[in-house]
Amino acid sequence: MADSPEEIKKHVKLYMLIGVILFICTVLTVAVAKIEWLDFGARGFDAIDMVIGLLIASVKATLVALIFMHLNHEKKMIYWLFGMGIFFGICLMVITGFAFSDPIYYEDFFGR
Amino acid sequence: MEIPYIVEPRKDTGLNNSKIAIWLFLASEVMLFGGLFSGYVFLRIYADYPWPERTLPVLPGLINTFVLIGSSITVVFAWVALKLREWRKFQIYMSITLICAALFMVLKGVEYNAKFGHQAIRLDDYTVIEGHAYPQEEGGDKKITKNLNIQAEQIQIDLKRVDDKYYETMGAQYGEHFVLAEDLTLNSKTKYEKGTAISKELIDAAKKDFIDALANNSNVNIAVARQASKDAGNQPELDGKRYYDKDRKDFIAKRTKELKAEQEDNYQNITPALTFIAKEGAVDISVNPRWGKLSNPKEGEKGTLKLKDETLISGTTADSSITMRVDGIDFRHTVMKAVEKGIDPEAAINNSWLLKDQSMKLIWDKHLVFVDKLQNYLDEHDKEPTDLDLYRITWQEIAGLMDKDIEDLEKMDHHEIAALFPGDIEGFAGANHTRVHYPKINVPREQVRFEAVFSPRWNTYYATYFTITGLHGLHVIGGAIVLGYYLFFGRKMYDANPEWLANRVEVGGLFWHFVDLVWIFLFPILYLM
Amino acid sequence: MSDHHDDHHDHHNPGFIQKYIFSTDHKMIGIQYGITALLFLLFGFYLMMVMRWSIAYPTEPLPAWMSWLFTEDWKAQWLSEGKLPGETYNMFGAMHGTIMVFLGIVPLGFGAFGNYVTPLQIGAPDMAFPKLNMMSYWIYLLGGLMMCGSFFLESGAAKSGWTNYPPLSFFADSQYPHQFWTGQTQWLIGLVLLITSSLLGSVNFITTIINLRAKGLTWMRLPFLVWAMLVTAFLLLLAFPPLEVAGIMQVVDRMFGSSFFQPSGLYHQQIGLSDASGGGSPLLYQHLFWFLGHPEVYVLLLPAIACVAEIIPVNTRRPIWGYKSMVYGVLVLGFLSFIVWAHHMYMTGMGPAVSAFFQTTTTLISIPSVILLTCLLISLWGGSIKFTPPMLWACAFLPMFGIGGLTGLPLAFNLVDLHLHDTYYVIGHFHYVVAPGILFGFFAGIHHWFPKLTGRYMSRTLNHLHFWPSLILMNTLFFPMLIQGMAGFHRRWYNGGDAYLTADPDSVNVFGKTVAEYIDLNIMMSWSAWLLCAAQIPFVINLFGSIKFGRKTNSDNPWNACSLEWATPTPPGHGNFIEEPVAYRGSYEYARPEVEEDFYPQWKKPVTDENKED
Repeated sequence: MADSPEEIKKHVKLYMLIGVILFICTVLTVAVAKIEWLDFGARGFDAIDMVIGLLIASVKATLVALIFMHLNHEKKMIYWLFGMGIFFGICLMVITGFAFSDPIYYEDFFGR
Repeated sequence: MEIPYIVEPRKDTGLNNSKIAIWLFLASEVMLFGGLFSGYVFLRIYADYPWPERTLPVLPGLINTFVLIGSSITVVFAWVALKLREWRKFQIYMSITLICAALFMVLKGVEYNAKFGHQAIRLDDYTVIEGHAYPQEEGGDKKITKNLNIQAEQIQIDLKRVDDKYYETMGAQYGEHFVLAEDLTLNSKTKYEKGTAISKELIDAAKKDFIDALANNSNVNIAVARQASKDAGNQPELDGKRYYDKDRKDFIAKRTKELKAEQEDNYQNITPALTFIAKEGAVDISVNPRWGKLSNPKEGEKGTLKLKDETLISGTTADSSITMRVDGIDFRHTVMKAVEKGIDPEAAINNSWLLKDQSMKLIWDKHLVFVDKLQNYLDEHDKEPTDLDLYRITWQEIAGLMDKDIEDLEKMDHHEIAALFPGDIEGFAGANHTRVHYPKINVPREQVRFEAVFSPRWNTYYATYFTITGLHGLHVIGGAIVLGYYLFFGRKMYDANPEWLANRVEVGGLFWHFVDLVWIFLFPILYLM
Repeated sequence: MSDHHDDHHDHHNPGFIQKYIFSTDHKMIGIQYGITALLFLLFGFYLMMVMRWSIAYPTEPLPAWMSWLFTEDWKAQWLSEGKLPGETYNMFGAMHGTIMVFLGIVPLGFGAFGNYVTPLQIGAPDMAFPKLNMMSYWIYLLGGLMMCGSFFLESGAAKSGWTNYPPLSFFADSQYPHQFWTGQTQWLIGLVLLITSSLLGSVNFITTIINLRAKGLTWMRLPFLVWAMLVTAFLLLLAFPPLEVAGIMQVVDRMFGSSFFQPSGLYHQQIGLSDASGGGSPLLYQHLFWFLGHPEVYVLLLPAIACVAEIIPVNTRRPIWGYKSMVYGVLVLGFLSFIVWAHHMYMTGMGPAVSAFFQTTTTLISIPSVILLTCLLISLWGGSIKFTPPMLWACAFLPMFGIGGLTGLPLAFNLVDLHLHDTYYVIGHFHYVVAPGILFGFFAGIHHWFPKLTGRYMSRTLNHLHFWPSLILMNTLFFPMLIQGMAGFHRRWYNGGDAYLTADPDSVNVFGKTVAEYIDLNIMMSWSAWLLCAAQIPFVINLFGSIKFGRKTNSDNPWNACSLEWATPTPPGHGNFIEEPVAYRGSYEYARPEVEEDFYPQWKKPVTDENKED
């Protein structure tokens, strides 16, 4: 935790930089979705667009969490508390998403 | 003892109480939005209708993203200012944060407002048309077009279920036109002659009488039933026989009948429903479609309109069509259903009810030209047009190509046609109906499979959109209230112990960043995917 | 405390309202939770007694002592000739479940015991956020009253089971124009409030346990109850928000007409084709519900098992066996409980891949549960057991919870579940866990900490009058359910199987004959239930009578226990401890050779050689 005023002053520039990066990333997300020659994969929205979009969002979120929310130098306890939330949140999302998944009905399941 | 570690951190954990608490709270918030996102993932993966992909106008969302990121930066600076004990700077940065929050909510309001004014209809053949609904007679009588209308001859009111709110609204339409079909004598000896006009007092009195009679009879019945089973217990030959034994059942049935006959004078008449008939000819009745259902939506045919409170209005169905200015056509659901049934999609579209309308047909023909050009262009780049390209006509396309002739379009290439489409500013939060007069169409009620404005009702995508952004908006408001409290009432805390206020602002700021963090995911997921 | 005396004027002489009603003191809030929860439990029990009449004697009208609570209008609307019709039975069933789980057991365990005991045991002056604590009690009360108040609405209370599954719950009450004022919507909003209250509570608990532990009270010196409360709080914190989301989604479905949980083409026999867009899925609700629902089971259980773990060492005069394995067991239990939820959903048409996954995790979670129970059992071995009232209840808890737990194992396997799903077997299983298990644990806790609250013991005689009939009747009530369930009795039969029964021995209706064979158990069970109610009367007399007439305790530590809550004055004042407590050792240090007495309290300075000489 940067508590002394000198250290905090040093961080101001970092905060500005992160802000600028966040703005650029936002423009990038829209550009990837809207501009035709930046559209990877097939035309329109597809899996690659999803991965790219979520990747940029994750980068942004990580920056906010690490720098603005000071997670880059936080106590171990906080990592545990917040980490559990993230972990179980992902559990819920993934397992719910697989709700109807049924591998034996996949045609190539038995190597056909 | 006093509660320790309110401001200064505990040695072994290195944290003060509120810091732990806010991170715990954020962890539960992760689960809250995690639940909502799982809902989104699940509904999207297993959707049985074409998902409305990239359907929201991006510009308001983009500006809101900038606004929120900006406010995140200023809230950090406000905290830095407090740490450096610069009260003035803190005030400035915190005020900017609050202005950003307000701006965010205003933009959200603009978006919501545009959605709530935007009508969508899923036709019987699953064609979807979007646009603005208009009064049937434009300029004149501003009757809301979506209502169900019926030429009523008879109204039957279920006294147990009759609802005051419905009656108050409908009563003005019933007016003096409807009268009692039969004489009605209440148990309290009050008599209403045949031909008494329908009124709230009459229905209230009849309802009260009905409920009282019901309670009275139920009391008598309970006493009878208790007596009967007591008598059965006293019968030696029924000893040890369970309630499902035939002898016992027969005995109780017989005994109940006897006892009921004895009690005949104590029973009251039960009148569960009242019937009213139109005094002089049929009367126009108009009902909000959320309140009831037409048994036969075809105009001019006999039918009934059943309200949710079981009020049954019978007569002849009147014109209940919806008039719309169309700014979007979507055949994807039609195609999906056609493919399921093994029908050729092209044929399904060409046979659709919508294309029987000349103006719609013209739009579709222009769209086909556009798709043709697009196909040529994409062939050069080894790409395939998507379902959205093929089967969905956007407001930009309708607005851009409305005044062009098909022959002219055929001479242009893909880029030239696309250049005719209006830009994002033209329709900031959706199609702008004040600038462009979109083609009008009248949809008879029997063609309407489902209709709604763009509210949570329209489909699961909008339901998710409104629920997530709504909850997110509540978080913005909540965060702004907390931060506003520190801004306007924090001076006292600052004077007592500046570090205390700095800690609190840090905690409030953490929440604010989290709200920003959620939006960082919401924006691409809802607007761009 | 004395240092800040000047700054905090009239801190110690709050007015009546501040002291007893809008109190921020964790002890008063704990008592408020306890009394409210007991009242809700009583109401839930009453609903069940009425239901049991309909099960045992479906063709007979309710007796007068049962229907006296109903008004005339209510009887006219909700009873048919004095009998309980299916809809009313459903309403009572749904509310019985909701009240018992959300308004009774959770607040009693987590709210009452957690609030009263946890801060004392960790040597804290209060919860970390006293005002938040007060707020969570009032939000809980508001939510509870909203749910129960809906009995008096035109629509009646919620009637779609305590799980409120759509599309059943979507159609229920959908005909009313004021959607807000229907039982179903009130239930949902009440639920959202209850969850909010639990979230505030759990944030408070975890912060308190992490940050307010007394000097020297390291993690491995914590009493087991504190560990259990910590895990419980985490379960509440992380498992409840998804249900809050599901509740909000259902409210949106009901009030704004969305289709989160309504599939396309939904049809109802009376209402017809649903006027919703469709495209949603009831399975989504079930996922969100049971993501809460399974951890919820442990939210119910852990406080009770924690009470028992506190009581057994005190009354056997020896340390708890395997403290560390119990702590790790409870942590693993907490973790696993998040990933077993879909074993409630084998019959929903989920894919077999997901079923197999949940079958595995479900069998895994029995390991930590068994560790906990085994440790408690072994703790009895070789102890000098004193059968004080709390110990009686604690000893009964072990086998009863054992039966409840073991009958759950077959349900973990989806093949067996095909047969047992939604039968009385399931009811028997979880009632064994909750009623003779968890509730017995709480009775033990009430007897154990009552002297701390009041300075008086509860009566032993009255306790015997309460304990023995309860123990016997619980078994005659719930064991037949297991038998009936295996015979195929469905849990939602409002007439106890009367509609399916065949009295004719020559009939080809095999199931009807099976029903006839087991239907008479209903009478035994129902009478057990009603007598069980009578058996609680000594408890009520005991609880309130002992406040005034109980035998006085002779010290602040009447049971000669080791943990910190017994170092406080009786009853503890505001701020709990007179001087800051310091923990010198673990909390189960009985029969230690260093000291003469058979217990070595946590707060006692170590006996060094110099001290001994003095």
